[in-house]
Amino acid sequence: MELEEVFSSKPRIKILKILYTLSSLNVSDIAKRIKMNYASTAEHLELLEAEGILEERKYGRIRMYRFKEGSERAQAVAGLIQAWEEK
Amino acid sequence: MASTHTVFKDESKLDINYIPQKLPHRETEQRLLLEFFSFILRCPDRMAQRVILAGDVGTGKTALAQRFGATLASEANKRGIKFRYVHVNCREFRGNLSSTLHRAVTVFEPNYPSRGYGAEETLSTLLQVLDREGATMILTLDEFDSLIEKEGSDAVYKLTRLQETRQGQPQRLSFIFIMRDLQAIEKLDESAKSTLQRSIIRLQRYGKAQLVDILNDRVKMAFELGAVAEDVVDLIAELAHAQTGNARFGIEVLWRAGKYADVQEANCVLPECVRMAVANIVPGLRRSELAGLGLHQKLFLLAVARYFKENEEAYVSLSEAELDYAVVCEEFDEKPHGHTQVWNYVQYFTSLGILRSEVATAETRGRSTRLSLPTIPAVELERELTASLQLARRA
Repeated sequence: MELEEVFSSKPRIKILKILYTLSSLNVSDIAKRIKMNYASTAEHLELLEAEGILEERKYGRIRMYRFKEGSERAQAVAGLIQAWEEK
Repeated sequence: MASTHTVFKDESKLDINYIPQKLPHRETEQRLLLEFFSFILRCPDRMAQRVILAGDVGTGKTALAQRFGATLASEANKRGIKFRYVHVNCREFRGNLSSTLHRAVTVFEPNYPSRGYGAEETLSTLLQVLDREGATMILTLDEFDSLIEKEGSDAVYKLTRLQETRQGQPQRLSFIFIMRDLQAIEKLDESAKSTLQRSIIRLQRYGKAQLVDILNDRVKMAFELGAVAEDVVDLIAELAHAQTGNARFGIEVLWRAGKYADVQEANCVLPECVRMAVANIVPGLRRSELAGLGLHQKLFLLAVARYFKENEEAYVSLSEAELDYAVVCEEFDEKPHGHTQVWNYVQYFTSLGILRSEVATAETRGRSTRLSLPTIPAVELERELTASLQLARRA
């Protein structure tokens, strides 16, 4: 997916900011925080995972998402949020 | 405004959560624990161990486990072994196994959801997390008696036979169970009991001379030089010895006595400061024990305290106390627990010596239970409980 497509979504940016702040969260919790339904939130998360920015850790029924360890894209996004939020 | 004058050098060394580097008169037990768990430093995922630490209040069970855990974690770290020591007080979670295990999971997954998942699922998550991290853990379940009381044999069985469901896989999770009274094990069924009774370390009550050593260590760490005389330490040790050799009680008296010395702007802690400190510690229910009570236990006790504060009577009937408890629950936006649960609270407080209950036979209306508050000033108890509940509300 093109860069502009990945970052043209407000919910995706919100998800990234939340995970940057809280390190890892499950899908329901993320959905609650961005005020979106579970299915749409899961879709956004899967997209961010497919782009190599996030990774999923599955514990039984629980899916926890976080920034992908060792991913350059994840590091770059985290760097951008840090620069933006701490301006 | 607080005075700047103080006899303390570092009063945090008298805090209930402070664990000193050395635990006087518990060296043998600490070596024994290290022996039981030495495999963690040699072959961490080949074995798992379960040990029970048993002893009365203030015999150093929690301090011993935490000091041991910190020592082992530091040694493992030096050797590049991924090891975590996690200490959870079951009473904090009202003896609920799932919530207790949740605390252990959050060491690795801080935002792991706390609701909607059963104990088995949380235990399985904990093992998955440990597998993923390639780590070993000692999970200490403090006040394990409350978990047995709440969850019974099934929970103990799940915990202790864990490895049998993971044949051929690395062993990741060992346990230390801390209990006041080994009698609680007797309530379990035979299979759960047999898995628990293998390694038990019993901590004997401290003698007076041992208490003097413990207090002297804390005096050196917490007070300015010469602020606490030998005879004052001796007096506190004597008091703690009378309280079933309770070192925690002695340390609490020491701290409070220091506070009284500060208020009086004295250069040292006088015996009178000790006496004042003792008079103001809620007898039979110290702050540390109060903190361990469940929300509704506190609410019920608060109702009883208020009753005796407002009425110059020696007894309250259980039914009247329950009505007052409902009022307190309303104040705290809580739904009152039922009669059976309240009865359990009464039994618990009676066993601690906080309340006394007796069956009174009325001439016309049959038998009824009446309660008294034999040793604790109602005003003190109300103050301590209100402070504790407000603190919990703010948290």
